[in-house]
Amino acid sequence: MKIYNIKFLFAALCASFLVVGCSNDDDNIGGTPPPAEVDFTGTFSQVDHMGRPGINTVLSGSADIKNMHNVTIPSMMQATFQAAFEAQLEGLHDAYAVALGFTAEDVDYQPNILGDILNGAEPTSEDNPNPVSATVLTTVLANDVLEIAPNNVTTYFTAGVGAPTFEGAIGFTGRRLQDDVIDVSLILLFGGETGARFNGEGGFPQLVTDGVSLTADNITTSFPYIGAPE
Amino acid sequence: MKKIKIFAVIGIILAVPVFIAADHIDAPGVAGTSADIADFYAFEPTEGSDNTVFIVDVQSNVLPDLTYGEFDEDVMIEINIDLDGDLVEDQVIQAIPRDGMMYFFGPFAPTSTGLNSQVAIGNALGSVEISAETAITTTTSNGVSLFAGPRQDAFYFDFVRFNEVIAPSPSDNSGFNVPGADTFDGANTLSIALEIPNSLLGTPTATNVIGLPVYKTWVTTNRKQ
Repeated sequence: MKIYNIKFLFAALCASFLVVGCSNDDDNIGGTPPPAEVDFTGTFSQVDHMGRPGINTVLSGSADIKNMHNVTIPSMMQATFQAAFEAQLEGLHDAYAVALGFTAEDVDYQPNILGDILNGAEPTSEDNPNPVSATVLTTVLANDVLEIAPNNVTTYFTAGVGAPTFEGAIGFTGRRLQDDVIDVSLILLFGGETGARFNGEGGFPQLVTDGVSLTADNITTSFPYIGAPE
Repeated sequence: MKKIKIFAVIGIILAVPVFIAADHIDAPGVAGTSADIADFYAFEPTEGSDNTVFIVDVQSNVLPDLTYGEFDEDVMIEINIDLDGDLVEDQVIQAIPRDGMMYFFGPFAPTSTGLNSQVAIGNALGSVEISAETAITTTTSNGVSLFAGPRQDAFYFDFVRFNEVIAPSPSDNSGFNVPGADTFDGANTLSIALEIPNSLLGTPTATNVIGLPVYKTWVTTNRKQ
């Protein structure tokens, strides 16, 4: 009888631990399940994709490429789109060459400030070339994912003090609401080794800023961090 | 030869319809529909925080005649997180609306990856009432804050000038105007937002171009078949 009681108690304890265990598992997933009568059945097929801002918009050069980009898994994107992205990048430079009265061959993408930053203390030279060629840049951008560093301050990209030392440069740690992603993208695509190659001076077009900044009431300091609708 | 290249360039320009960044109206197949992703943000909310914030915007009223105003019950939003850098999702968070509520699932490790998926009913995270103008938020028992509703479109860009800039001519080749005009000032979008402890997402082994450990993330919209 005594032994039975002990066994029973032991079984009861095990059961209670199991219940707690289950409850903990639920907590790890998140908890509150939806009401049983709510219907979530069915198969859902992907229709749109976004990683970094503006990639499909700017670098996909045709309606077909844009549509295809939205239904391509990221691990296939580099193989599928890099060459087309590089052609589009050069095509945009060629268009300006022609509009400015040169031939298309006269104006090409120039390796950007990121290459100088990656070269670090070693100055960029013929023996130590800027590594960010049009092919390298479009290879990185073709993998259209947004990187977020969980243990670092978030900045889409900042060139620090700028050319030539770029002291304090940091980036690729996520995207904040206030980050000027368009200007960053323009600088990396058209800014060349100084970040100011086409800066609107000396008869050249302004292609490294769109001249607009964040509207202050668009964001808030507490969750959900975005301003009430207008 | 030169002429051919110039014509090819003009061909590229003519093939580019009016479009908008960041992802608003990015492709004809999805532009202006209830599944059109407008934007995606991912950030550390405060310096040193152990949480990550994800914000996904769908739909926009930045141009007339776009679908805007209500989440579509046939459209599921997915946030994909790759931990090891192979660009295949290791963790997924799902959001789908039902009758005025936004239901969230995950993060969970998917049993299959790719373009088709189902709602992970067994991995419920929680739900939040879809807000009107005033934000309604909730926090789950494991510390995840949830929001869904209309918000300002925080994106800023002179898209009107951009569409002219990418099609330069000898009479208009000066590029952007400084200052420009923010096309998105006054526009609204439909947002979902999560603030989630990093411990629920896992530790990344992937690194970015400067060697820092990163989650590689992307968002998708998925329509019920």
